[in-house]
Parts: sequence; C-alpha cells; structure tokens
Amino acid sequence: MLGELLAQSLIAWRLDGTVRNPSDGSVLLACKGIDIRVQAAAPDLPFRWMVTINDRTRGAISLIAVLRAVRSALDPNYAASRLRIAFPRVPS
Amino acid sequence: MIGVLVLSGFLGSGKTTLLRRLLAAPQFSRTAVIINEFGEIGLDHELVEASTDHFIALTTGCLCCKLRSDLVETLEDMLRRREEGTVPPFTRVVIETSGLADPAPILQTLMIDANLAGRLELNGLITTVDALNGADTLEREAISVKQVALADRLILTKSDLAESGSAPLRARLLGLNRVAPLHTADHGCVDPGVFAIDSSNTNAKWARELLPDRSDLHHGHDCEIQTCAIVRDQPIHAVTLSLFLEALAEHCGADMLRLKGIVHIAESPGRPAVIHGVQHVFHPLEWLPRWPSEDRRSRIVVIGRHIPRRWIELLLTGIEAEVQEAGRMKMSANA
Repeated sequence: MLGELLAQSLIAWRLDGTVRNPSDGSVLLACKGIDIRVQAAAPDLPFRWMVTINDRTRGAISLIAVLRAVRSALDPNYAASRLRIAFPRVPS
Repeated sequence: MIGVLVLSGFLGSGKTTLLRRLLAAPQFSRTAVIINEFGEIGLDHELVEASTDHFIALTTGCLCCKLRSDLVETLEDMLRRREEGTVPPFTRVVIETSGLADPAPILQTLMIDANLAGRLELNGLITTVDALNGADTLEREAISVKQVALADRLILTKSDLAESGSAPLRARLLGLNRVAPLHTADHGCVDPGVFAIDSSNTNAKWARELLPDRSDLHHGHDCEIQTCAIVRDQPIHAVTLSLFLEALAEHCGADMLRLKGIVHIAESPGRPAVIHGVQHVFHPLEWLPRWPSEDRRSRIVVIGRHIPRRWIELLLTGIEAEVQEAGRMKMSANA
C-alpha cells in the first residue's frame, strides 16, 4: 500500500519518478536524481517508518510524516503548511 | 441567518437575465443583490429592475481579485443599513459575479470571514452555461471550467437558441461536475424553487443528493478535473478525518477545487458531521441534528484538478489503518 501511495503521490505532485517494491519490504523511490527508501521502523523505535534520503535516515511517526519528508526532498517549492484542523466538540 | 447565493457563469451566459426573472418571483422578494462587473462602468444593475423589496449594490473590478476588501465591505455596509432600516429588510443575498471571476475566493470569503460569520450563511453556487456557446467557452476559457466544476447547481441557458441538441454539452458538464443537478432555463426562466434553498436544510439536501447510489461519481473526469467520491460503510474516527483533511489541504490545496462530505464520526453516531472545503480553506465543521436519510455511510466528494482518485482513497485508508493501530496499542498498554 505504501508503494502505491507514493507512486500516486508523485502523480498528484506532478513529478516524474519511479517507485519499486524490493523483496525486503521497503519501498524505493527515485525522482530527480534523488533516491529515497521507506521502510517500517523496528518495533523498539518510537517511529512507524524510517525514511532514507540520499543515505541520510530519519524516523517518521506516520504516513503523513513520510509524505512530508519525501515531498520536502523532491519539491523545492513545497512548504509544509502544518495546517491543523480543529475538530469541534462532539455533540452529546 | 441570511442566506447567500452566488451566481456565476461566463460572460454572456445569461446570469443577468436569469437574475432579473428570479427577482420577479414572489419567492425572491426581499432579496439584496450585489452585482459585480469587470468593467469600470457597470451596466448590469440598470438591466435588473429593482422593486421596493429589493436592494441592489454594484461593485466594479473583479471580485475575486480584490475580494477581501470589496465584497466584505459591501456586505457589511448592506447589513449595517438593513439594521438601521435605511434599506428594505432583505432576507436573502444574491451575488452576481463578473463573468471572468473565479468563484473559489468568493466562496472562501463567505465561509471564513469573521465579520460576516453568524450573520450570513453561504447557501451555494449557481453557475449558468450558455447552450449555444457553452461548449466552445469550456474549450477556450479555463475559468469557465472552474465555474462549472465548483457549482452546486448548473443552469443551462439559451437552449431555445441552440440549433443542434445540447447533448454533447450536457455530457461535458456531467464530466466536469457530477454532483450539481443540471436545470434548463426556458427563455431565461427557471423554477425559483431551484434556488430557494432553505439555509437550515442546505446540508441535509445536498447530503441526499450526494450519492447514495451514484456509482458514476467514482469515474467522473474531464481532462484534469476529476470528481472523486469516497464512501465508507464503517464510521470514521474524528482524528482520522482531521488528519485526512489536513493532508489533502497540505498536498493538494490549490488543486482541490471543492470538497464536500457527510461523515459518520465514530464518536458521534447520531449526528453526522458535514465538511466543506474550497481549495486551502475549510468551512468550520458542522454537526447535523440528525441523519437526513437512512443511509448512514460516510460520503465525501472531492472535485480536484489533477488529483488521482486512487491517491485520495489510499491516503484515507492509510490514515485509518494507522489511527486504528494506535488505538489498539493504547488499549493493550492500558490492559
């Protein structure tokens, strides 16, 4: 699912690139000369995913964080909005 | 709350004719009208006959370009004069936009302006399309595509003048916007009931119109503009919806022309949440007092430019899975 999400993300961001799913469970993305590997984090880490961009690895706590890290690396015009949508009190 | 209708449509598509006929209908008595013309000298307001029940204000220049100031100031002035009793006590506002105006920032202003909130309520966007020239206009003018894609109602005008049938145009309109009902004006006349949207019931109405069995919505597309409908049988957690909307706005804000949804929130089974968004801007979430029908599925429609439908589905599915996993981990930690 992650690989397909990243492939579809490239389309949504209007970027040309490739996404592969090697047998080790990770996802490899190549775009604009940048190589990105995303894989599940080890259970003892406080992250859900590990994102390696040109050999530098960092943790990501969610899919949204993965998308933000990947796009930040690929799109120089991207500025993460950090928009927060507050949910009003659920009616009783 | 005073309902606001926005009347859009490309140059010459029959907006003013339609408005003139509407204002003659009893249902549209006590209507305040804002007419916006692109040229420096406005003419349209001369063409709309004002009865003593109506109040017409005129703005020139393009509303969507200098909107935050002009539109808000005009509306505030109208409301102030209404309270002072110097204009008729209108109960509805119609904004006729310039034919070149992008409706999105107009809708956004009506949705979010703090000075107008609580006094005005956006009822919807109505877009006129000329049956004679509409197809060519849609080919040539990108703004006309957006006017159609964002509409809550589409009115096909001048169909009496179109020599050939309007079937290809209707198909094109359906491709651009599968959510908005398409009505045909007969010599400029449309049943006023089409526009007399009950503010208190607007969301329930369109919630009924959204699907329930509109499987064609899943495949609607025209060039880069696509209509994507997401249906979920299971309730969605509030945090999932928040994260999903944030991600949509963050990654596709400018391309997300419009989003509407009625959502079964897990934490609120009896009262569905209604969501509205126009590009980066989201209307404050609203709770309906009850479900408008027996259909209690969550239904979200996204009208977007160049946003893959599959991406939207995967995004929601992925966030749902992560939120559910986090919930399970929390429960096991508490056990």
